[in-house]
Amino acid sequence: MERGDSVAVKVGIPRGMYFYKYYPFIQSFLTELGAEVVPSPETTKEILDKGVLYSIDDACLPVKVLHGHAYSLRDKADCILIPRLTSVSKGEYICPKFGGLPEMVKYSVPDLPPVIDTEINLIRSRNSLVQGLFKLAFALKFRNPAKINKSIDKAFITHRDFKAAVQGGNTPDCVIKGMSPGPYKAKARIGLIGHPYLLYDSFINMNLIKKLRDRGIEVITPDMIDPHIINELCQELSKRMFWSSGKSLIGSALFIMDNGSFNGMLALTAFGCGIDSLVGEYIEKQARRYYKKPYMVLTIDEHTGDASFNTRIEAFFDLLDWRNTNEAYISAHGRSIYSS
Amino acid sequence: MRLTYPHMGEAYIAVKSLMDDIGVESIIPAFTTNSTLRLGSSLSPEAVCLPYKIMLGNYINSINAGADTILITGSCGPCRFGYYGPLQKQALWEAGYKDTDIIILDPPREGYRKFLEALKKVAGKNSGRIIPSFINAYKVCCELDSMNELLYYTRPRAFKKDELRSIMHKFKSDVMAVKGSGQMLELIHDTKNRIRGIDIDKSFKPLKIGIIGEIYTIIEPFSNLHTEERLGDLGVEVHRSMTVRDWARNNVIFPATGRKGYKLEKKLSKPYLPALIGGHTQQCIGHAVHYAKTGYDGLVQIYPMTCMPEIVSRSILSQVEKDYNIPILYLIVDEQTGEAGFQTRLEAFVDYVNARQEARDTRH
Repeated sequence: MERGDSVAVKVGIPRGMYFYKYYPFIQSFLTELGAEVVPSPETTKEILDKGVLYSIDDACLPVKVLHGHAYSLRDKADCILIPRLTSVSKGEYICPKFGGLPEMVKYSVPDLPPVIDTEINLIRSRNSLVQGLFKLAFALKFRNPAKINKSIDKAFITHRDFKAAVQGGNTPDCVIKGMSPGPYKAKARIGLIGHPYLLYDSFINMNLIKKLRDRGIEVITPDMIDPHIINELCQELSKRMFWSSGKSLIGSALFIMDNGSFNGMLALTAFGCGIDSLVGEYIEKQARRYYKKPYMVLTIDEHTGDASFNTRIEAFFDLLDWRNTNEAYISAHGRSIYSS
Repeated sequence: MRLTYPHMGEAYIAVKSLMDDIGVESIIPAFTTNSTLRLGSSLSPEAVCLPYKIMLGNYINSINAGADTILITGSCGPCRFGYYGPLQKQALWEAGYKDTDIIILDPPREGYRKFLEALKKVAGKNSGRIIPSFINAYKVCCELDSMNELLYYTRPRAFKKDELRSIMHKFKSDVMAVKGSGQMLELIHDTKNRIRGIDIDKSFKPLKIGIIGEIYTIIEPFSNLHTEERLGDLGVEVHRSMTVRDWARNNVIFPATGRKGYKLEKKLSKPYLPALIGGHTQQCIGHAVHYAKTGYDGLVQIYPMTCMPEIVSRSILSQVEKDYNIPILYLIVDEQTGEAGFQTRLEAFVDYVNARQEARDTRH
């Protein structure tokens, strides 16, 4: 049965996990098909609390947040879209939790509308994406192949524009809202690495990007760096990195540390993140051994308080300032701690 | 070359006979203790999972005992285990063990040449002996499994549990002196006969509890604080869902002969998780359903803290728990796990399962 135009199906999209990576893509795909897209509101304390309540206790923060968003959509949408993202680029996986996400939500959050859990698995070839999107459209009862094909084309164009806007230096959350970063005077430039679901959710990272920009610090995130550069820098790893998110972290960290125009690097990680535990270790060792840029890791979980977080960021600002004032200092005896 | 490998429960027995048969000198790392774990954690990233830390401790123990090459299996799946090798190599290098070589046996689909080169590096000129030796080692695994099953049966029923413990203790020390799979099979056979000689209470009907979860933490008794033994001493007949033989059959023998592994587990877990997402999630859920269907009274899921695949299985297991009305105890292990708290939880769980059982018996 083809859906009539009068009753558009309302598809709820929780604002969590890869929302800030693929929302424009899926939004334009579904809108073009004729569905109504209902994104969940931005994370609030209430959403986080609900997420913590319904998810199992040792899941990581972003998974808990997603549970909360799914809960917040329960009476606003006819169905909730949580695709099973096994792999988003050829030969590479993401975290296993992405693959089990639909089940985790389905079995933990009560009273949910039907969850659409189409599998997107690009491990063998990129063409599976089109197959996955067809399955997704069929699951929503859109059966017109020509229309689906047209929507896929439209989605790809939107995604390309979105990526271009992000690489131009705007953060994905602002691009989605249609805002420009706003004028600020950049005194320093740092790299901020982390997964998109931590970097752009301003509630769970306590407005980190705004705090940095208010201090006149220009922020470059992994999504703003050309993926070709990231791929190239990852070639020097002794073993192929099989996580696409890990790859983008390592690649951008190496780029930031190599590049003289960056004054320092901040890493944002969630407590208990499996990928960050290994990737972060690799980056930290490289940073210590070969580079002498200020580098700090900020770990967040659902208990993180604003005050202690600010203290840590301020310590990092001090580090940047001291480096600026003392860089020209030449030690009379021994090696200066500031020299690189 | 003096080869070593990390501990994983009884795997060392099979690997030792494999290496003896091929003719490679190998060193069994000292049995894992708290000091091994402390040594490993001091060089590991803070948030990494428990197996990484224990394995690193094992390596250093072996290197101190004279080993110069480490053999581990790798993977390129989404689980963290696949990236252990490169980071452990880096950690060892930084700790000052700069001459140590790590041979990672990645699955052949990552490159046949790399795989064959790694095998050649291990076996040297005796490469021709790999396949027959592997078959013999597999026989050792089968015998070990049957010995373990005998143990699971005997332990709750034995009148004198310490007698059983001393047999197993003697077995552990005898393994070191044995060379080659032939002698190993004989030793296992003798040990089995000695276990059969123990007085047991044949009329006793113990509770049956299945152990599921992450493969390393359920196979390696140190990492799960000897849960099997503890439950056995509490009068429970346990069964462990994954063994070394099971792993070898599904990951080496079946793919090599063109068959697919884990068929039953995949079929049973399909209603809950239709796709492969990495780790042993499907197997864990499949085993849980299997145990529930075959009349087990309870399940224990064990996994290391922050294990990505098992967190997914845990969320799904709560549904299995409801559907099949089988209680599940979730045990998360890390280097902070204390013995007393563990014992208390196991005792409480056994009491709970017992009480359920009695209530059911009186109702009928």
